[in-house]
This record gives sequence, C-alpha cells and structure tokens, in this order.
Amino acid sequence: MLKVEGLSSFYGHIEALRAVDLRVRAGDITTILGSNGAGKTTLLRTISGLVPARYGRILYFGKDITNLRPERMVKMGISHVPEGRQIFGDMTVRENLELGAYLRYRRDPSSAIKKDMDFVFKLFPILKERESQVAGTLSGGEQQMLAIGRALMSKPRLLLLDEPSNGLAPKVIRDIFACLQQLHQEGITILLVEQDVQIALNIADYGYILRAGKIVLEGTAEELSQNQTIKEIYLGE
Amino acid sequence: MINFAQGEFAVFGGLLTYTFSCVLHIPILLAAVIAIICTAIIGALMERLFIYPLRNAQIINVIIATIGVSILLKALARLFWPEEAYKVPEFTSSSLTFLGVTQRSQTLWVFGLTLIAVMLTYIFFNHTRVGKGMKACSINREAASLVGINISNMSLYSFSLSAALGGAAGLINAPYASYGSGLFLGVKGFTSAVVGGLGNTFGAIFGGLLVGLIEELIAGFLQVVFGISSGYRDAITALILIVVLLLRPQGIFGRREGVKV
Repeated sequence: MLKVEGLSSFYGHIEALRAVDLRVRAGDITTILGSNGAGKTTLLRTISGLVPARYGRILYFGKDITNLRPERMVKMGISHVPEGRQIFGDMTVRENLELGAYLRYRRDPSSAIKKDMDFVFKLFPILKERESQVAGTLSGGEQQMLAIGRALMSKPRLLLLDEPSNGLAPKVIRDIFACLQQLHQEGITILLVEQDVQIALNIADYGYILRAGKIVLEGTAEELSQNQTIKEIYLGE
Repeated sequence: MINFAQGEFAVFGGLLTYTFSCVLHIPILLAAVIAIICTAIIGALMERLFIYPLRNAQIINVIIATIGVSILLKALARLFWPEEAYKVPEFTSSSLTFLGVTQRSQTLWVFGLTLIAVMLTYIFFNHTRVGKGMKACSINREAASLVGINISNMSLYSFSLSAALGGAAGLINAPYASYGSGLFLGVKGFTSAVVGGLGNTFGAIFGGLLVGLIEELIAGFLQVVFGISSGYRDAITALILIVVLLLRPQGIFGRREGVKV
C-alpha cells in the first residue's frame, strides 16, 4: 500500500533520515520503533508532506506521492495524527471533529459525515460527553482520543500515528491501543511510531527499528519480540 | 499575526472612494464597493508578493515585512494623491437631531455598517466552512494542513478579507482621507485590539469603543480645562497602548498565555 524507497530528509542541517526503505501492507499495523531522536517523527512528517524529502520517493498504491502538500495526502486517504496531538485548543470537541472532515463537505453527503462522527463517538464515548467543551480543557488522554478522532473524520485508508502513548497513564494507553486494534479490525491500515516497544509490538503485525535515521532491523512483531538485541536494548530484559 | 499595513488599507479605501466618486463621478455607493474590491486586491497582492515568500520565516520577520509594506503603500498613496487631504463624500448628506444632539447622518451609516460587518465576520468565522478553516489556521497552521486545509490559500483569503474590511472602515469613517493618516489609524486599531485582548473579536469592538471614548474625553478635557489643542489626541491613543501593554498585556478579555501539556 505504502512503499518508501531510499528516503532521506533533513531536520535543519542534520540529516535526520538516511536512505530509509520500508513497506506498509494494506490491512496491517506496521510500527516504527526507536529511541528519542532516531528520526521516527521526521519519517512520518516526510510521508505526510510536512517535511520535504531530499532524496528517495514515497509510493502510495504505486503512485509517486513524494513531496505533495499535506492537504493532497489527506485527499488521497492518508491521515496523520501528529506528535503532541495538535488539536485546535480554542475550539470545541465537535468543531475539531468537523474540521477533520474539512475536505469532505463538498464531496460527501452530510449523512456520511454524521455517520463517521457517530462512529468516533462510539469509539471514544468520552468525546461525546465533552462534545461542546473547549478542546484545550481536555485531559491529555482525551486530547489524544480527539486527535485520533479528528484524523478518522477524513475517512482515511492509512492512519499515521506519532507516539499516541506519549505522556499518558498506563490505563489510558491500554484504552487507546485497544481502540487502535478495533480500527485495525475495521480495515484501516496503520503506521504507528512508538517509543514504547512492548505495547507497540503487542498490536503490530510488522515492525522496523530506526536508529540514527537508519533502519537497522525489521521483521514480524513476533520475530522482533524474540530478538535478543531488542530484548536487551529496548525491553530491558 | 499583526499586520501593520492595516491602516494603509483604510487610507486606500478613502482615497479610492474619493477618486471614483469625485473624479470619475461614479455614484457614491457603487464607488465605495469598487474601492473595497480594489483594497481587497491590494491586500491579496501584498500577501502573494511579501507575505507568502516568508511563509517559512519566523513570525517577527513577517511582522517587520508588514511595516515595510505600510511604508511602501504610504509612498504610493502620496504619489497618486499628493494633496494634504481629500474630502471623501458622505453617503447621505443630511443631518439629524436625536435627543437634542445633532449628528451627521454619516454617523448612522458608520454605526449600521460596522454592526453588519461585525455580524458577517462572526457568521463567516463560526458558521462557514472556509471561515472555520481560516480560524483553524490561525490556531495551528500545521494541524490545519493535516486536516486538509490549504494554508497558502487561507493566508491569501485572510489578507484580502482584512484589507477589504480595512478599506470599508476607511471610506465610511473618514470625512477626509490623506496619505499620511494610515499609521495612526493602524495604531488606533492595534490599540483597540490589544485593549480588548488580541485575537478576541468582541474584545476588539469593545476596545475600540473604549479607546475612542477615552481619547475623546481626555482630548476634550485637556482642551476645555488647559486649552491644550486636541491635535494631541493621537498621543493619547499611544499612551493607552503603552499603559495596557505594561499593566495588562493580555487585554481586558484576554487569557494569559499558557499551554496545557
């Protein structure tokens, strides 16, 4: 579904990605693991067009989408839940979700958008309760749910998630990851960037380890969780 | 973002209306509409030529660029309208007396059109798709682009819109328009916005009324009691700005800056 070939990009003057190759199969949860500063966020940002790619290309269903503007990516069904949630803090929960469907108002009937909003409210019932609350007053976990919900409102085929567990309590993380699994069952393909290796490998089908901007290891989630190096470095066993 | 060329849009609104109506003899209401459209085009050009190329620059650089544009626009205005002041015709030239006070009927136009402009702006930002997109852009550009909003178009629209509003304000408000008055019109607008709380629409309106009243009262007081010329009124506005920035930088209705993590 998504294929990244020899991708390099820069963060300021630093080469944050060095010839990264990766593949996301339709229907899978693919995860990119690595420590802080490994280039995980830059990788997602390059895929969604926020950071320009210097070398290499990105193919989506075989079509070259390298360096298209972010809004074009959304139109094609790629939706990015950015690092730090980036919700519209001054707007209500409902307004945030409506903006998620920004490109669909001309295209889709309002009943379809309403249906998707109901789906988001079913997935995250707390958002329904907070519907008319200003988003900036939500807790961290609720903001993360809202960011995911907003991304879902564009009806994506591929969901890019940047560290949804970041800064959240273990119980909230479990809830959110259970929801990701549910989305996976609904047929949404997920590319998940995580620092928490354990929890990511629990739900993923396939994974890549990124270190200093390079893919150093890849394999199925099972292979990776059995891998001796990963056990030592990332799982602390 | 703050646009220091906003006052220049008001000047152009007034001067263009003068030219269309007094020189080209176009009926005043039509002349006003054409002037507003022209000002919007100036705003759009400004965005494409000077703001868009700076889209990846730091915000302070963009703000300084707007000061540059304001100087440029002032020079252009002086080139085409070199006289000290031009009389912008009023929409209707009668006066009316209400509760013993005689007012120019233009005051009613100012009041009514401001009310309409405010309502339209409110509806635009809260109930239309493009308006909400623009608001989203102002809150978080990156997040806006990730939900599919074309931020470059939004920037263009918002500059055109604010230029049009500025032009409209300039042509209904000023009995006289002159190339030199843009700066202080801009400072007055900025002061009103700061007093009300930057980014707060209704705060800005309230701030505008408050600044106008304070300015008028102090200028009147100085003139009657001390015989000081009311030509100092612009200094009063500047003083209000300084005092508010020192004592309550977030304005009357503003919240303190703070981000919840």
